[in-house]
Amino acid sequence: MIIAPLLVRSEYLLNLLILVCLYATLSHSWNILGGYCGQISLGHATFFGAGALTFRYLWLGGVSYYLALPAGALASLILASAIGFPSFKMKGHYFSIGTLALAMIALITVQNLLPGVSFITEACLKEYSLLTIYYLAFGVGVLTVVAVYALSRSKLGLALVSVREDEDAAEAIGINTFKYKVVAMSISTVIAGFAGGIFAFYCGTYYHYAPFELGWSFDPLLIAFIGGAGTVVGPVVGAVVFVLLKELFAASLGQVNVLIFGIVFIITVLFLPKGLVGIAGIIRKPKKTSAVAQER
Amino acid sequence: MAALLQILSYGVFSGALYGLVALGLSLVFGVMNYLNVAHGALIMLASYTVLWTCYYLRFDPFLSLILVVPVFFVIGWVLFLGLFQRLLALPETEKLKNSLLISFGILLICSNGATMLWTADERAVATSYTGKVIDLLGVRLPYIGLATVLLAIIVVLGVHLFLTRTYFGKAIRGVSQDYEAASWMGINTRRVCLASFAIGVALAGFPGVVIALQTFNPIVSFDLTNKALIVLILAGVGSLRGVLFGGLLLGVVEAASVFFVGVAYREVVGLLLFVLVLMFRPQGLGGRKA
Amino acid sequence: MLEVKDVDVTYGDIQALWGVSFNVRKGEMVALVGSNGAGKSTVLRTLSGVQKPRKGTITVEGIRSDTVEPHKVVELGVSLVPEGRRLFRDMTILENLELGGYIGRARRVKAEHLEWVFQMFPVLKQRTHQLAGTLSGGEQQMLAIARGLMSDPKLLLVDELSLGLAPIIVKNIYNTLKEINKSRNVTILVVEQNVRLALEVGDRGYVIENGRITMEGSGKELLASEAIKSAYLAVG
Repeated sequence: MIIAPLLVRSEYLLNLLILVCLYATLSHSWNILGGYCGQISLGHATFFGAGALTFRYLWLGGVSYYLALPAGALASLILASAIGFPSFKMKGHYFSIGTLALAMIALITVQNLLPGVSFITEACLKEYSLLTIYYLAFGVGVLTVVAVYALSRSKLGLALVSVREDEDAAEAIGINTFKYKVVAMSISTVIAGFAGGIFAFYCGTYYHYAPFELGWSFDPLLIAFIGGAGTVVGPVVGAVVFVLLKELFAASLGQVNVLIFGIVFIITVLFLPKGLVGIAGIIRKPKKTSAVAQER
Repeated sequence: MAALLQILSYGVFSGALYGLVALGLSLVFGVMNYLNVAHGALIMLASYTVLWTCYYLRFDPFLSLILVVPVFFVIGWVLFLGLFQRLLALPETEKLKNSLLISFGILLICSNGATMLWTADERAVATSYTGKVIDLLGVRLPYIGLATVLLAIIVVLGVHLFLTRTYFGKAIRGVSQDYEAASWMGINTRRVCLASFAIGVALAGFPGVVIALQTFNPIVSFDLTNKALIVLILAGVGSLRGVLFGGLLLGVVEAASVFFVGVAYREVVGLLLFVLVLMFRPQGLGGRKA
Repeated sequence: MLEVKDVDVTYGDIQALWGVSFNVRKGEMVALVGSNGAGKSTVLRTLSGVQKPRKGTITVEGIRSDTVEPHKVVELGVSLVPEGRRLFRDMTILENLELGGYIGRARRVKAEHLEWVFQMFPVLKQRTHQLAGTLSGGEQQMLAIARGLMSDPKLLLVDELSLGLAPIIVKNIYNTLKEINKSRNVTILVVEQNVRLALEVGDRGYVIENGRITMEGSGKELLASEAIKSAYLAVG
């Protein structure tokens, strides 16, 4: 992957790879909170957008991108402490619809405060290099995957999963579920902030509110689930499939890739709780693990 | 003063609509703990159905209900048998989570499918009474707004009578309170859930008509689901009257915020109220505990 | 009329009943007693159809009831008065009774049955439009039993009726049950932690321990047995 740009001269392919890295990163960000910790957020666009907004503002203002990127991630984290952590007061499905509401508030607010388009400045345009963006996106993506892998093997990861499996039981054995939810959200929003920065770095011109749109909340959820929520490889696999489908149907009306993903999503929820990644597992040892087959 | 009354009247009209929007969602959630976030998409589809019915059959939109409601009852029936019935066996939290996820998928499929089929162009059904108003004490009351309020009252009354005066309606209430105990009464709980879900989807027809009379396109699916969820939470589970009042509350809050904060942030005030209720009183402002 | 043969019941990987066999003859009042967690409620849940046995058969007047959905079990004539009453708290007394008589053949005799249960439990008649959740413990238990009778059952199953009730109320209710059993020939199976009470009231009894039936006999025999006395009656 690292030498891919050297082998492949196609700019088109480079664009696709950047998108894959972007979606993989954002999906993993959702995955940490939703897949591992079980808190299904429907409003991740808020943090994605915050990262994008901060990066864009700093970068167009003359700050170099390698400083602006972590700044975006930090902004995301700050936002999380303001609205994210308190949102854990809502439990279970209330959390999901609550985060959706918060994301809509953010979207409407940005639409009103910054209704226009963000144009790339001349200075930044000179700097603009697809190669740089790719390496940055790739780097962030790799770090994210490594981080999630480390998480999945750590005691922290175990604590998160216990919160996901049975919050009350976890509390009963002394796990401070709030603390761990906060940790999960912190890591998650930082990564989302990085992803937002990549977006802002990559896109030439876009409406200021674009990264806050609902799609950026829904797509990572779909990708992580279909690829395999709660796994390391899942969101990456999902991102590849997602971007491929998107390209395949780029010319059609509406988003056919989302439609297809919607169907696959439902199939996944009903029959493949471990996502595409789990298919390999099912082939190896055919034991019924579907959501419905679990006994009371 | 007249301006305030005017705005409040709009609040009542949109509130009645919100009540209708949330009714189906509330019924299904109350009976079997399924959160059907595709409800907004179903209403959107109902609006398109009304559109085509009026276009091809030259019906009045309210008359098209005769066709739309049964059609959507069947759609709900099929959806339940195909996708949601298998969730009945799951424990409560899994049931809720999975119903949320599956209906989320349906929401995406419907809104994108509708865009592909019918484009994102805005539509509306125009009638002879569109835009007509009654002038009452300086306040303009649109015919359609009044019809919406009337429709809401009739539908809520109808559902109320069904639930309190018929055996099956009582069975539905029984199942929603205690699924297992209901089965010990000899009630076929699976069939009750099936019928309730179908009724819930059929109820999407009523707000569908009202939406059809305004401008709409596939994107309203998300807006409508959002409104339905807000009203559901405001109303609390299991309270039918709560749904109507919750809708009115949301409508009036939005209208009042237009008056005080301006149009741009109309939805935000309602959403903030929603989030606050979710945080501090998720069982709602009326109704029994979830 | 009820035959339970060699029934095993598991909750996932945990086995709750082991080769349980017993029977109840028509017109009898039988007690199934044992301590907490012995498996008594599991037996009733299985009889009512919400729990399916892993092995064994259950027949009601010759018809298999273990393979059938719970609402069909009610149609076979088996009615459960659940542990903890499980009334529909937001519905009135009358509505609870009406739901008790939901099945077809019960609806046809609704008026007659209502009159009968009001005769058995007069306090219910006075408050037909009161919400079930607002009744006292004893009244709730009476309503639960009345509701169970509304389905015109051949076999009434009563699960732990004494829980949370004052002894004198429990005694009264058991007397009423006895009367129902004798006067209307309704076969009754009671499950009870209060061993003495259940064995005094029942014609026959079974003792269940750790998911297995360990003893059976007439009420009097069991009460007199040394084993029962030392284990359950705090005597000797």
